Amino acid sequence: MLQKFRYAKPRDKSELHALLAEYGKSAKLLAGGTDLLVNIRSGSQKPAIVIDVKKVTGFSGISWSAKEGLIIRPAVTINEVLGDAAVREKFPLLMECAHDLASYQIRNRATVIGNIVNASPCSDMAPGLLCLEARIVISSKRGERELPLVEFFTGVKKTVLREDEFVERIVVPAAAAGARGSYKKLKRINGHDLGIVGVALMKKDGLLRLGISSSAPTPVLVDGLRETDPEEKVAAAARKATSPISDVRCSQEYREFMIETFVKRLCREVK
Amino acid sequence: MRIKLSVNGSAYERDVEEHKTLLRFLREDLGFTGTKEGCGAGECGACTVFMNGKTVNSCMVLAVEADGAEVETIEGEAEAGKLSAIQAAFDRHHAIQCGFCTGGMVMSVRELLRSNPKPSVDEIKQGIEGNFCRCTGYQQIIEAVLDVSGQLGPGNKGELKHA
Repeated sequence: MLQKFRYAKPRDKSELHALLAEYGKSAKLLAGGTDLLVNIRSGSQKPAIVIDVKKVTGFSGISWSAKEGLIIRPAVTINEVLGDAAVREKFPLLMECAHDLASYQIRNRATVIGNIVNASPCSDMAPGLLCLEARIVISSKRGERELPLVEFFTGVKKTVLREDEFVERIVVPAAAAGARGSYKKLKRINGHDLGIVGVALMKKDGLLRLGISSSAPTPVLVDGLRETDPEEKVAAAARKATSPISDVRCSQEYREFMIETFVKRLCREVK
Repeated sequence: MRIKLSVNGSAYERDVEEHKTLLRFLREDLGFTGTKEGCGAGECGACTVFMNGKTVNSCMVLAVEADGAEVETIEGEAEAGKLSAIQAAFDRHHAIQCGFCTGGMVMSVRELLRSNPKPSVDEIKQGIEGNFCRCTGYQQIIEAVLDVSGQLGPGNKGELKHA
């Protein structure tokens, strides 16, 4: 049995703001629940209130426009991303990241924004979204603020979010549409598993970017490279930007080796 | 909190504790014990049910989230006491040993075949990647899915020749 908590289902943003103002640190937002309910069960999180954000007006759906780019709202699940025609056509890299996230049932519930706000080093969506220069829009009673995703993560499961704030949307700029890219994730089994390392590589307009997970306290963006750079140079940049550790799943040396291997393979495979 | 939902086509209205999972609600409050708790953390898939037409791990859904939802469990799979085609194929191919994973496994297979009526072996493996079976080694399950999707052909009993 889960420990006791209250449950609230705000209908609009002002109700959500009010709940966050009232409960502060003792509140936890629920979208897909695929991390939160596991953490409550294990006792690592003990919220007094769980606030279900899925029915908040305006929090559903993924949309694309050439003016605003791709907008991903809080209730958007991973499988919604995989089923979205605009994502398939314009952001193949996001499709690959989404496809590698956990199992089918979990992808039916887990949300993109949940995968980002949890700020796990092994996030699967972060590598792709970092490469595509996604932006985060944060809301609170005080108003909205927007920042690049790369500035959102501050440590293992830590972000810039304050107690009264939530992420209202992720925006992938229209300029990133059509970027070529691919994601490689190493895991112990083929199905649902935490990544050992994950590497996304994107090429567009002569630029090359990497997004790397499970290799540092936060997902990492490697920027400032060019499509024409030799793979040795790209691999060296990846090595410099990451600081993998040894843990139960593998050693530091193996992670370093696989980051380099994946980077080189991706350099060749992403045309 | 008072919730209303439908399970396998029947309507239910119950008071439920806010911190109770859908899995426990189905089993303890409504008696649908075909849905099992394996890991309780979304890894094993034994608790897989349909909620509004999508497969979910019911151990990671709160019962209160299912307010207004249509839920389908393994108990709704057979019709009028007759095994569904998926269940019959599982039976023929010995795709069941202890049976603990079977309820969730059948839910995932149903979902796979709905979107992909003739899945390849790799696609079957992907379709059931969220469901662990610690008895069969999966081969029997894969053959049952190949059979029920008409891919074994007449007289072909699969490599294991169970059928």
